[in-house]
Amino acid sequence: MFKKILIANRGEIACRVIKTAKKMGIATVAVYSEADRDARHVELADEAVCIGPAPSKESYLVMDKIIDACKATGAEAVHPGYGFLSENTDFARRLEEAGIVFIGPKHQSIAAMGDKIASKKLANAAKVNCIPGHNEAIATPDEAVKIARGIGYPVMIKASAGGGGKGLRVAYNDKEAHEGFASCKTEALNAFGDDRVFIEKFVEEPRHIEIQVLGDAQGNTVYLHERECSIQRRHQKVIEEAPSPFLDPATRKAMGEQAVALAKAVQYQSAGTVEFVVGKDKSFYFLEMNTRLQVEHPVTELITGIDLVEWMIRVAAGDTLSFTQDDLKINGWAMECRINAEDPFRGFLPSTGRLVKYLPPPEVKGVRVDTGVYEGGEISMFYDSMIAKLIVHAPTRGEAILRMREALNEFVIRGVSSNIAFQATLMQNPRFVNGNFNTGLIAEEYPKGFDATDVPHDDPMILVVVAAAIHGRFLHKNALITGQMPGHEYHPSDQYVVLFNGERYPVTVKSEQGGWIVTASEKTYAIRSTWQPGDLLARGTLNGQEMCMQVERVGLIYRLFHWGVQADLQVMSARAADLLALMLVKAPPDLSKFLLSPMPGLLTQVAVSAGQEVKAGEVLAKIEAMKMENILKAERDCIVEKVLVQAGESLAVDQVILAFK
Amino acid sequence: MHEIIDQLDEKRRRAALGGGQKRIDSQHAKGKLTARERIDLLLDDGSFEEWDMFKEHRCVDFGMDQSHIPGDGVVIGYGTINGRMVFVYSQDFTVFGGALSETHAEKICKVMDHAMKVGAPVIGLNDSGGARIQEGVAALGGYADVFQRNVMASGVIPQISLIMGPCAGGAVYSPAITDFIFMVKDTSYMFVTGPEVVKTVTHEDVTAEELGGALTHTTKSGVADLAFDHDVQALMMLRRFFDFLPLNNREKPPVKPTKDPADRLDHSLDTLVPDNPNKPYDIKELIQKMVDDTEFFELQPNYAKNIVIGFARMEGQTVGIVANQPMVLAGCLDIKSAIKAGRFVRFCDAFNIPIITLVDVPGFMPGTSQEYSGIIKHGAKLLYAYAECTVPKVTLITRKAYGGAYDVMASKHLRGDVNFAWPSAEIAVMGPKGAVEIIFRDEKGDPVKVAEREAEYKAKFANPFVAGARGFIDDVIMPNETRKRVCRSLAMLRGKTIQNPWRKHGNIPL
Repeated sequence: MFKKILIANRGEIACRVIKTAKKMGIATVAVYSEADRDARHVELADEAVCIGPAPSKESYLVMDKIIDACKATGAEAVHPGYGFLSENTDFARRLEEAGIVFIGPKHQSIAAMGDKIASKKLANAAKVNCIPGHNEAIATPDEAVKIARGIGYPVMIKASAGGGGKGLRVAYNDKEAHEGFASCKTEALNAFGDDRVFIEKFVEEPRHIEIQVLGDAQGNTVYLHERECSIQRRHQKVIEEAPSPFLDPATRKAMGEQAVALAKAVQYQSAGTVEFVVGKDKSFYFLEMNTRLQVEHPVTELITGIDLVEWMIRVAAGDTLSFTQDDLKINGWAMECRINAEDPFRGFLPSTGRLVKYLPPPEVKGVRVDTGVYEGGEISMFYDSMIAKLIVHAPTRGEAILRMREALNEFVIRGVSSNIAFQATLMQNPRFVNGNFNTGLIAEEYPKGFDATDVPHDDPMILVVVAAAIHGRFLHKNALITGQMPGHEYHPSDQYVVLFNGERYPVTVKSEQGGWIVTASEKTYAIRSTWQPGDLLARGTLNGQEMCMQVERVGLIYRLFHWGVQADLQVMSARAADLLALMLVKAPPDLSKFLLSPMPGLLTQVAVSAGQEVKAGEVLAKIEAMKMENILKAERDCIVEKVLVQAGESLAVDQVILAFK
Repeated sequence: MHEIIDQLDEKRRRAALGGGQKRIDSQHAKGKLTARERIDLLLDDGSFEEWDMFKEHRCVDFGMDQSHIPGDGVVIGYGTINGRMVFVYSQDFTVFGGALSETHAEKICKVMDHAMKVGAPVIGLNDSGGARIQEGVAALGGYADVFQRNVMASGVIPQISLIMGPCAGGAVYSPAITDFIFMVKDTSYMFVTGPEVVKTVTHEDVTAEELGGALTHTTKSGVADLAFDHDVQALMMLRRFFDFLPLNNREKPPVKPTKDPADRLDHSLDTLVPDNPNKPYDIKELIQKMVDDTEFFELQPNYAKNIVIGFARMEGQTVGIVANQPMVLAGCLDIKSAIKAGRFVRFCDAFNIPIITLVDVPGFMPGTSQEYSGIIKHGAKLLYAYAECTVPKVTLITRKAYGGAYDVMASKHLRGDVNFAWPSAEIAVMGPKGAVEIIFRDEKGDPVKVAEREAEYKAKFANPFVAGARGFIDDVIMPNETRKRVCRSLAMLRGKTIQNPWRKHGNIPL
């Protein structure tokens, strides 16, 4: 076994690999860019080497620097994680040449599978079901259109080197095929340095189900069942689970065996993933093989009990698999939510900045959190927006969903926006809960994007009574202030009115040891909690049931976060509520005359100037954030009055860029 | 006897109605509460004792002798906020538009005199059309009587003004003298001369809201400390604010017990200050993570944002916080911020409230606009306030403490009691770049040398050790232990007594 390995990655996956290496007694070396100096993976590793400036092109993607780091530290092997150099043939080969073991498949296998065109040919030969398509790189948009017509619309235009949703377009007609080809090619060149693009049949209402395989150098190959990855937003996976609620044992077996056949065809010796698209009739087609560890690998680990990272390391060191296909059973249900730094209420725009508060749920009762950040750390604009993976394991799918919902309640992130509210909403979406979905679920359920009204709460009374109890605690604290008129001290009332969603709820709150008894709408709620003013989390029980909410006090408002809902409640005396009703409702300020920056980032271009007339849809400005270019377009015809920020300046969220007349 | 009681009841009933139901409805239609409704919300239930309910004006001109309303447009008395005594006057817009008459002024003076006698704060709820013109000079005299009392009470008892309607002309000067001014958005305004006069004299076209609304005074002029959305919010937040203040200058500030441990560490603060000295960070995060229960009551949050002021508690006890804000103008001191913080420091000093100063200041703001507007004198106000101040002063330098601004910000030299620095502190005359340009003027043309010299200067001064070696810094502390160390310092300082030399009063550069 290796004595020391280097992890050529950052973030949660680097931390994840370090964890297993430590368990195995292997020393670890982290590499980091200047932006990651204080990152968690650097702290967790036994040694760390700085490999250059923040942009990954100058650090995490520079093979020489990583190989030098191996030599300098004496690392015998490199785990590449996912992304970056994980599926780079040259990297695997160069490591091999330098006498360093690549913890992953042999470079020949990566080469065979990494190229999507070559991989299809191989799959065909291995008798793996393949989707109709054109397996040659396409040169011109016109050729793309011709081929697309030949296959029949809709078609998918894909970058050969693409992955993770990048370099991918769907075309329903000639025009879209033409445009999609061009933009796909550009994006592919920018993202991967490889602009080869191909086209295939687009299966509508498809599910994305993938098979985890694992092979050793002795030629043993097994499949570790499937992962259901159909919950996607713009081709980015959002929720993954294992097993799939859709597969029957026969289909699972057929898919597993084809996946193993493919892996064997390329002498695959590591963990890998064979992706399939599965149709309504359970017909399945091979999409591609990912010759690396997947982001969503933990769900497989939880249902099979196999530590995939451990086996990648052991196989790379020459160990033989200690189990056979028959040993691999499915134990319970596992589910993963990707917790991203993005604002679901603002079109999922990426959010960067300091994690002012970061408190993941405790890893008990089947909850696992894979994360690479910490409170006070930074979500940098240089890398992807994933903050953490929240994974749960439970006996059944229903219990897994409940556990996930509870864990999401407890997940505290402040300073950057997160998609927790969105994840919590998906967890109670009926189609998701029933398992009746395909990759279009998010687009179909939230066609106009996601907003606060999409978040339901199954029992708003819980919010009402918790707000009342919290108010009571504040009042009791007030009653302890020194300097009161002797004999005329303040005795807070125990009767309040809770105002929520335009409704008025009279409540009585009796404080008792360790909690409160709240009476509302003739029902009694016993709340037990040690919550104190200033605590972000109110943990405890409500009528004996476990409960956790996030609580903030903003002026007179108690803001509660529960089941993905952000609820603003006010609590006051009945008299105050009567008087509050007399206050005028003020219209929010008119911001339509301004172009506001939807996210923090760098203003790369202002495309208009003062006095210019613009038509709806015209480009106004471009902002770069999280490696992504975001184009701001005019929502209607207007005249630019003033440009307030110049290109090259960095923008805060909601900063005014342009004023219109 | 029964007859008298019946009469009394009738009088009370009439007084309670103020200017009558019609005027009350009209007040409500504007989204405003009546004088008594406001008092109800401000004070503890049932604690208000009203005085002079039956007082009436003595004016006989212009038909005023035909028009008497008991109370004469202002409700006065005392009550409690969370059990602590407070005197209140609340102007009643439904009675003669809340206009101030001689008797109206007498009532205000009455509560102020009582408040001074017993040592309790005064809260004025202002909603008045101005002087009662029918009375002429008698009303003017009334204003002056109030002003005089405001001045005498200044520094003796806290005085708070909540502007809940018009407040124009001479009337503005009573709130102006009080310690804090809060306003209600859209329904209150303050100006010395109204839009009509402005239009005639300067030909400016401006609405009352633009000229003197809550937003104007909390963002542009700095006259007001906070703007609230409506009466209810203003009054309930004022209750919260009141809990920070001592009742008078002989008392210690109140203590509100907390379960927040004094020795709570916060490791996220270790990464608050970015490596790059030019990168800003939000000082309010430090404040929130340092104080009890994360509760910080900020004042003037939208004015001179380069300095942050407000109240919080440490181990239950009120503290005043003054902090440079690196997010705005790099946290430098300018005229507005010096005045904002200077007045706050003097309030804390007057009322025995310890001051925590958080320093990240690159210096004073340069430029003709600042110099021509007198930054020398205005900057000196903050210096004066800190130097004169005798309450416990705990100072923490988080990053930059450059030049004269270092001296000003509660440095050791201005009798700072405990002066801490984080490891990221840089205490120097100026930043490395500027310093090298002066010291090594002749090497200016040589970028290699300049860079070397800068590095040299940085190595020497971009740390807390030089200041530490001279004892200007008592200790270098880890950010994560800030709360613990500051709490201990304040506990140690609880018995601090020092006296300034006797004098009639100092001569602060006004």
